[in-house]
Amino acid sequence: MRIILRYIRYSKQVMSIDPQYIRNFSIIAHIDHGKSTLSDRVLEQTGTVASRDMTEQLLDSMDIERERGITIKSQAVRVDYVADDGQTYHFNLIDTPGHVDFTYEVSRSLAACEGAVLVVDATQGVEAQTVANAMMAMNANLEIIPLINKIDLPSADTERVRAEIEEALALPADDAVLASGKTGEGVHDLLEAVVYNIPSPVGDKTAPLRALIFDSYFDAYRGVVALVRVVDGQLKTGGRVRMMATGAEALVEEVGIRRPAEVPCETLGVGEVGYFVTGLKDPAQVKVGDTITLATGGVEEPLPGYRDVKPMVFTGLFPIDSDDYEDLRDALEKLALNDPALVYEPETSHALGFGFRVGFLGLLHMEVVKERLEREFDLDLLATAPSVEYHVYKTDGSMLSLHSPQEMPDPGEIDHVEEPYLEAKILIPPDYVGAVMDLTVARRGSFKTMNYLSPTTVEMLWDIPLSELILDYFDKLKSSTKGYASLDYELAGYQTSNLVKLDILLSGKPIDALSFIVHRDKAYDRGRVLCEKLKAIIPRQMFEVPIQAAIGGRVLARQTVGAKRKDVLAKCYGGDITRKRKLLEKQKAGKKRMKAIGNVEVPQEAFMAILKVDD
Amino acid sequence: MEHSLMLPNQEPYGALYIHVPFCKQRCLYCDFATQSIDYASPELRAYTDDMILAIRRAGRNELLGGVRTVYMGGGTPTFLGQKYLTELFYTLSLTMHLTEDVECSIEANPDSLDGRMVRDLWALGVNRLSIGVQSFNDAELQALGRIHTAKQARDALAAAKERFENVSVDLMCGIPGQNLESFRRSLEEAISLGAMHISVYPLTIEEGTPFANMVAAGEMPDVDSDFQADCMELAAEVLQAAGMQRYEVASYARPGFECRHNIAYWTGVPYLGLGKGAISMAQNSEARFRFDSGGEVQEELTAVEALAEDLMLGMRMTVGIGPELIDRARQTFASFDEVCDELIERGLARWEGDRLVPTTQGWLCGNELFATLLDLAP
Repeated sequence: MRIILRYIRYSKQVMSIDPQYIRNFSIIAHIDHGKSTLSDRVLEQTGTVASRDMTEQLLDSMDIERERGITIKSQAVRVDYVADDGQTYHFNLIDTPGHVDFTYEVSRSLAACEGAVLVVDATQGVEAQTVANAMMAMNANLEIIPLINKIDLPSADTERVRAEIEEALALPADDAVLASGKTGEGVHDLLEAVVYNIPSPVGDKTAPLRALIFDSYFDAYRGVVALVRVVDGQLKTGGRVRMMATGAEALVEEVGIRRPAEVPCETLGVGEVGYFVTGLKDPAQVKVGDTITLATGGVEEPLPGYRDVKPMVFTGLFPIDSDDYEDLRDALEKLALNDPALVYEPETSHALGFGFRVGFLGLLHMEVVKERLEREFDLDLLATAPSVEYHVYKTDGSMLSLHSPQEMPDPGEIDHVEEPYLEAKILIPPDYVGAVMDLTVARRGSFKTMNYLSPTTVEMLWDIPLSELILDYFDKLKSSTKGYASLDYELAGYQTSNLVKLDILLSGKPIDALSFIVHRDKAYDRGRVLCEKLKAIIPRQMFEVPIQAAIGGRVLARQTVGAKRKDVLAKCYGGDITRKRKLLEKQKAGKKRMKAIGNVEVPQEAFMAILKVDD
Repeated sequence: MEHSLMLPNQEPYGALYIHVPFCKQRCLYCDFATQSIDYASPELRAYTDDMILAIRRAGRNELLGGVRTVYMGGGTPTFLGQKYLTELFYTLSLTMHLTEDVECSIEANPDSLDGRMVRDLWALGVNRLSIGVQSFNDAELQALGRIHTAKQARDALAAAKERFENVSVDLMCGIPGQNLESFRRSLEEAISLGAMHISVYPLTIEEGTPFANMVAAGEMPDVDSDFQADCMELAAEVLQAAGMQRYEVASYARPGFECRHNIAYWTGVPYLGLGKGAISMAQNSEARFRFDSGGEVQEELTAVEALAEDLMLGMRMTVGIGPELIDRARQTFASFDEVCDELIERGLARWEGDRLVPTTQGWLCGNELFATLLDLAP
């Protein structure tokens, strides 16, 4: 009886799969070039998901991903494909984000693959993230299959894009797959190209276990679930394993593959990608990028580590209702579990109370996290203006890493301040070189060089302070190039700058959550514009509210929100009373979204106003 | 026009409202329940017949025994014309005690009020006329989309004064093109023509009105609440100097000419509304209901919520809230005294003997004052 049961259980997947029939690959692309739709077609044409179960962009499981039409988290799915040679191949397809903020997610996914499909939009051609992702894949020694997508569109220009791929990326594009994620055309060619061009994984199945954790998430019932790629040996249900970096040990409660629903199996062998239920309750014990080995008799040498990811943008997150502080902490902990780029530490503000200083990869990352916190954890949050990490060298020789303007020491104690610079790569048609010059110089950028990638695409390289980039630079870049510009950047180190802390005072009191650090030459303009913005944002109260911008004690700009003179519905007869009550309730709900600072009601947008300064 | 809500131990209705949802033409700011219609439309006949039935049914169900005020509003009641108005008031006088001490008001539009109409209304037992003048300036009337001129308003008022002592005039402030001087002239003219009661309303832009569309399209500036505040202050100054008293946020009267029907709305008196879109309020010691003339409940308040509402409505009036209401509030709301202190500190209210009364600032920023009181009820 026992034997029969075991047999039935084993029949799902008796032994690990022969690696020669495994293909692990990612789909990489610039944002909006159609990766997720293409992934959907692959799932559909391989019968992994019946068309009737298809929802648009199946691998984008978060509401925010579907709504915004972007991929934020990597997703892995097992696809079985019967190739034209009659053999069944097992594909592990890993969908990756396209936005520059999420580059780290891409690098994690690539480390679990032998190949990558580089998707290029047939109407847009090569863009900045196309270049960046292709470089990343090349550095990871992946086999790259170029694919020109959206060939069904009337404006598709396959030959131009083919030329761009060859010129800008030095990738042979004669054999580029021509496809349309929308119609499904070319998907079969893609599947065959994956079988023949992407190498099968190589590993030692007799060696002790070594597996990479490339993603993880928290399941309320099962604890931390890790997504892993086995390199050597086997990951078996019931075995004991150790995470090499954290030292945490765990019983392998369940392993399995995702199709994309989770299907348990007994073992994951060399080259396989799947999930692993650790049963661990503490997210911090399972780090993305860590290597798993056997608890006893494991290896000593971990797999090559991942690129160390560092948050670049910091903001204060405060619960509007101070009772939600604990909930916010728990929520951040859960999100940080599979988002190693998300870091946070407690912060206290005189104006806003208890909250957290949270570090992000960029502004989109910040928006997405804030939105997830509000939606998935039902929190009402207030975010302060983002800042970057400044290095303050004090006169006593010590150095202070500053994440928040509040921590800025007195001017007398400061020797000099350095700020992070980026090397920015901007791809544009040649006509817009002048516009990008004007914009970027105004943002304290220094021009480095310019190359023609093709007759229609210019690559410009700049050094630009990160603090300037996080102020609506990307929006401005897009609008001054009619949407043609694409941008990629990486941290290029610190440079000395003449920076000062600008304080904002409401009713004569400095509001710590509104202060920010700015280049001295721009302090006056920013202060003036910000006072004007705040005047427009802060609703009239029953008394005058003076708004001032000041450096130290010196006031640079001033505006006044006049006292509210009249706020009353004069008519209130039989049928009006219910209406009036509803109006008052609506006003009250509006006030709930504001933060009372002293006796001034300040709307949430006020704290982000500094982001929207038009120069 | 069915009235279908009956509560156990229901308090009797003290006020009756009759709605006439017709106008010759809709004004540009109007979002009331009304429609523009032709004089000859058979709908007027049908509506009058339905209303007659509704009044008689209310009488048969003994809902009208305690009614001390009757108010016919609209729309434009005078647009119904002589014949139908006669039928309605005749029915009313047969159904309830429409004695001299019952306040019986009708709203009138200057373009449909002449000497003959005035004499007939008087004869039918109407004892208060409320005329929708809005302004005595032709440009302002035109801006509002009113169908009458300043001269018609003067004539109507003169005609009304031939029979009626108790004549009220509605004036509006914040009209596009209006300034403090023209508003002052409208106030002075209303006084000199013998208005015993004047209501001053700031223009509001309501959703779905032509004005709202014009503001959205940038063809018209949004309301200037500072200017409206200036107007409200000017009205208080001019009207009080002329011997009128401000007895509510927007209402001024010579002593004894306060609108008792409106005061009923602000003092928790149950009212019965008949006609399309009319709202009734019924209550007992447990709850307060508001429902439309189809019997559909719009709002249901507990006794505690109703008390908070009475406090809010009381503070619309100069007399504010008296000792009886204050005692109940103290027993019901633990924080009541604290809230009173807060209102006084914010300059919204003050004590006058044992009454809590609104300040001028409390009226101008009434929503602050009212919301604070409504918040007393959890």
